[in-house]
Amino acid sequence: MISETPDVIAATGQASMVDRLYDSVMNIYRNHTFRVTIQAIITVWAVITFTFFLIRLMPGNPIDVLVEQIMVAEGIPYQDAYDRVAASFDFDPDASAIDQYFDWFSDVLRLDLGTSITSPGTRVVDEIARFLPWTLFAVGTGLLVSFVLGIVLGMMMAYYRNSPLDHILSLFASFMTGIPNYIWGLLIVIVLGIQFNLFNVGALRGTYDVSTTPGFNLPFIKSAFEHAFLPIVTYVVSTLGGWMLNMKSSTMSVLNDDYVNVAEARGLKDSRIITAYVGRNAALPLFTQLTISIGFVLGSGVVIEEIFVYWGLGHYLFASITTRDYTSMQGVFVILVITVVFANLIADLTYGFLDPRVRVSGQK
Amino acid sequence: MNQKMNDDVVLRVDDLSIVYRTKRGNVQATTDISFDLKRGEAMALIGESGSGKTTVSLSLIRKLPKNALVTKGQVLYQREGNVRDVLKLSKRQLREFRWKDCAMVFQGSQNAFNPVLKIRKQFEDTARAHGWTDKEAVRQRALELLRLVRLDPERVYEAYPHELSGGMKQRTLLALGVLLNPQVVILDEPTTALDILTQRAIIDVLNDMQKKLNFSIIFISHDLSLAAEMADIVATVYAGEIVEIGPVNDIFYDPQHPYTHGLLTSVPKLDHEQDLLTSIKGAPPNLITPPSGCKFHPRCPYVTEKCSVDGPPLAGDKPEHLAACWHKDALLKAREELAQEVAQ
Repeated sequence: MISETPDVIAATGQASMVDRLYDSVMNIYRNHTFRVTIQAIITVWAVITFTFFLIRLMPGNPIDVLVEQIMVAEGIPYQDAYDRVAASFDFDPDASAIDQYFDWFSDVLRLDLGTSITSPGTRVVDEIARFLPWTLFAVGTGLLVSFVLGIVLGMMMAYYRNSPLDHILSLFASFMTGIPNYIWGLLIVIVLGIQFNLFNVGALRGTYDVSTTPGFNLPFIKSAFEHAFLPIVTYVVSTLGGWMLNMKSSTMSVLNDDYVNVAEARGLKDSRIITAYVGRNAALPLFTQLTISIGFVLGSGVVIEEIFVYWGLGHYLFASITTRDYTSMQGVFVILVITVVFANLIADLTYGFLDPRVRVSGQK
Repeated sequence: MNQKMNDDVVLRVDDLSIVYRTKRGNVQATTDISFDLKRGEAMALIGESGSGKTTVSLSLIRKLPKNALVTKGQVLYQREGNVRDVLKLSKRQLREFRWKDCAMVFQGSQNAFNPVLKIRKQFEDTARAHGWTDKEAVRQRALELLRLVRLDPERVYEAYPHELSGGMKQRTLLALGVLLNPQVVILDEPTTALDILTQRAIIDVLNDMQKKLNFSIIFISHDLSLAAEMADIVATVYAGEIVEIGPVNDIFYDPQHPYTHGLLTSVPKLDHEQDLLTSIKGAPPNLITPPSGCKFHPRCPYVTEKCSVDGPPLAGDKPEHLAACWHKDALLKAREELAQEVAQ
């Protein structure tokens, strides 16, 4: 019995060291910021890996697509066309997808998205840097406008519930959400652009008037807004109804809360109650939805940008899909996924500033 | 309007009748409620749920639901010789009147604070709404009041509501209630939803505050022991009417109305053995079609034909103790018999 004691001590000593290591690892993992950041990174990896293989499952490859075009256009035999295309492309259609994946992924880890397959020498990163700001501009403005408008209108509906105003706005909101945004885009082009000729849709292709110099000057900014106007209107009308209806129900539940009643009994001014007691509290749950909708709107922006010939990231992606330019498509997906996942991450980490109830201890 | 009000009366409710318009018909929530509240006095309104207690208290700050209609009566506040009818104030005057002249601590004050604003902000909001913008002065006053309700003032002042316990929130609300030095504080069920020790603490704090700040209290309760402890005057409300009103001792030791008596005998007492715990038969009447005559007659053990025809007036031998009953003698006799039975 006695001789066993040192062993027991050693064993427990070791166990406690393992325990301590485990505890400290768990403590780091329990740190909210750390944990959600890790989860975000894993999400990004999983999604881009999935899309990598999905892209390759699409029928055809960059060479086939172009070969077919050249054959039809120039009427030359398949082999001639193939040789010409294969010589100009830096792409081997017979390489295994797994090998391609590891090549590509190790480049991505070095922050290199590769070069375009169909226009060799063009770096995907440069192309994305050229197109992304326009998409962020249009989508960001559209979402901001529709969010703010939706909150104001939704609160009005809640305050005047069951009035004619509420009924009209509710109908309007359901109508707007019921129609998909690409239909809205087409409707706007056909009705506003062609039927009523309010906008010269043809002249508004691209993102700004090339006769202006990009930079911080009025003609350029004006033309940028003009070109983005219709896509922004589309984003607004297709998302506004959702914000309105959500804000209405959220406001109505806040209006039933005791503290609003007490605030009135405290003699607070209506303006203060509407902003700091009703509006703020009712809008809180909508912030989470806002970050989710960023992903939706960015994704659906591909079609909208194509309809309005707005040269943003969606337009670039659409062009890459038509030519099966794998690296360009992958680059766009990487950027879109990172944008969406990190928008959500930032929202998650900053939500505590808006709502003290979810503030995790130690984060104060 | 020109009735003479004694200087020490801060609140007079005069013939107040309120109707709720509902789909099934009009609910006569209160009928001809009248009482005076003097400075520094605490008055309890007791009665069953649905008897109209809360309706009365909400009308005192004109915070009734939208479908309520005051059909008759006045709610007069007197401050420094000025008499004002709350029911006639303009929207702006009403906003300024609320909390400054009369503060109300609502039932279920657990959710009385905006969850996303610090307690400090909510004190400052209240002060600023009434033209008091000096944040440091507000802070000093708030800390003093929080100390008075026996909280750790600095900590609570900078806390968010969810960081406080139920009892702490209730006490914080009491402190906020007297921030602007109101003449009248209305407490609607101030201790329900709190455990017994916290209830005790709240009562002590209230007594203490009232002594120091000399405001008047109206509190709504169905907790008779709380009424006994807190109130100077007790009014029993039944079916929207005051059926008995008087000094607390008279009400508890010499109830003149069968309903008050019924309430008292339905509560166990600690000081003597009691196997005669009784409940009042029946249920409160439907106020869309209230009973004729005395509204209590369908449940009353001393009922006679007269009761169903004529409503008895609120009257009594002593001017401060009034009851609305035709058969006070029968009740007195019954009480004596009961006392003898208990004595044996």
